Amino acid sequence: MVAGVAGGIADSLGVPDGYVRAAFLTLATVWGLGVVLYAVLWIVRLDRVEDREPATIEPNQQLGLAFGFLGLMTLMAVLGWWPNPALVLTAGGLAFGTAALTDASKPGPLAALLDPNVETASRIRLVVGAGLLIAGLTMFGSTVGEVFEVGIVFTAVALTGLGIFIALGPWVRRLLSDLGEERAERARQEERAEMAAHLHDSVLQTLALIQRSGDPARMAILARHQESELRDWLYGSSPLDGADLTSTALKSAAARVEEAHQVPIEVVTVGDHPFGGPSTALVGAASEAMVNAAKHSGADQVSLYFEAEPAELVVYVTDQGRGFDTSAEQFQGKGIDNSIKSRIERAGGTVEIVSEPGEGTEVVLKVPKETDK
Amino acid sequence: MSLKVYLVDDHQLFLSGVRTELEAEFRIVGTAHDVDTAISEIRGLNPDVVLVDVHMPDGGGVAVVEGVTEVAPDVKFLALSVSDSAEDVIAMIRAGARGYVTKTIDAEGLADAVRRVSAGDAVFSPRLAGFVLDAFAGAIPSDEDPELDQLTSREKDVLRLIARGFAYKQVARKLEISIKTVETHVSSVLRKLQLSNRHELARWASKRRIV
Repeated sequence: MVAGVAGGIADSLGVPDGYVRAAFLTLATVWGLGVVLYAVLWIVRLDRVEDREPATIEPNQQLGLAFGFLGLMTLMAVLGWWPNPALVLTAGGLAFGTAALTDASKPGPLAALLDPNVETASRIRLVVGAGLLIAGLTMFGSTVGEVFEVGIVFTAVALTGLGIFIALGPWVRRLLSDLGEERAERARQEERAEMAAHLHDSVLQTLALIQRSGDPARMAILARHQESELRDWLYGSSPLDGADLTSTALKSAAARVEEAHQVPIEVVTVGDHPFGGPSTALVGAASEAMVNAAKHSGADQVSLYFEAEPAELVVYVTDQGRGFDTSAEQFQGKGIDNSIKSRIERAGGTVEIVSEPGEGTEVVLKVPKETDK
Repeated sequence: MSLKVYLVDDHQLFLSGVRTELEAEFRIVGTAHDVDTAISEIRGLNPDVVLVDVHMPDGGGVAVVEGVTEVAPDVKFLALSVSDSAEDVIAMIRAGARGYVTKTIDAEGLADAVRRVSAGDAVFSPRLAGFVLDAFAGAIPSDEDPELDQLTSREKDVLRLIARGFAYKQVARKLEISIKTVETHVSSVLRKLQLSNRHELARWASKRRIV
């Protein structure tokens, strides 16, 4: 209890801690022998070692130990070494009685007495323990009553209360720790339910959609979409809620275009920048460029590359599709002027479109980073 | 003579899928589901290219690459994984893999990557090119060997174009250089990545740490 000496001995002998403590306590009443012994053993460091495997010894060896201790005590009594026989007996009775009743490895004493499954030895130990405790308490009580002249009734009530507390202590403690375990288990279950709910809303839904879809391209998009969403959920922030970085805003914009137009979009980002101001225009224009590529290029994949350079933010939207003549008339009709150019130019940036028939298209969007105002 | 290819993946289904895809063009000399079998068989078979999964019990792809390279340094590795987390990519490249592709790659792309790796070139997917640019973005030179650690502006140009989704051939045309030069640039980036011990790389990988 103090330095773990009793625990250490208990481990190496394979007997419950309580009995070893009781032995020390009893010996302490014989000229303080227990205290001296405890101190010596503490110095030679026979205290509890956390990961030492507790020794297990046969029950008859335990019995041998008990008789050895009893014999030692009797020998000292015969030799007249007991300073105060009443004190030794009282302390011994109290200590061993308590140890027997509070043996934490056994179920509560009342339950044990009533439970038909409990072995006879345990039951005997309980009865003997209770007997020792009552005897010890009675002797103690009468001594205290005499010394302090308090009412015998008061002492009896106090001691009975104490006895009940000691006897039921382990049981109450176990009940409390059971409650703790139950709480932990409930937390685990809630976590599992949350995960199940998430998987149900996302993965299972997608799997169902894939099974119902006859179109391989559609299946691939669904699987791809689910893959990136699951990855984000498993490994970090979900990009779809609260896009406060330009890269996440671009990724969710790409996911939306991918979903709406059924063309995979490969997004690669280098560096990052807070979302807002000029990057809002950048993301909006990039979305538009991705939609154009998905709708008009005929390419089976679109690439989006974003880089945060020291002074500006750059987006390339590239496809390997049919391309077009940038000087031709129909070029004007694709909403490039309004939705891409004006947006970027309002943000102080530039738009460059590189395309030739049969050579794919690349839209380059550049906006300056916000400067300190 | 067709190239000898060995496959390592602990997912049986994926393994047989890749096998079917590659069988037309390559000689599949063997397959393994676990790290130990892979190491001992590859040492004996001496294939040209090993396609290795990144996540497997007992050390994963990194253990296979390291275990084989010790004895047979000529075997070339192409990492193939569902994960394209920065940490995995960097770990495989630093262990000695000459390329890294995700499992979503199509059959043609995979065959192309195998050929490229067997020829001694590096295979960088757009995502990997982006990672490398990101990792080397900090302009702070390393103390030990500043020359080695920096990417040249030409190398960065090549990586940017790869990240934008262009094939090596298109990169070459855009930069008005030969495909061979593009390959040289990419291989030199790979070597820098493998030899680099700059702190930024480690810090960057841990920042993006994905368990």
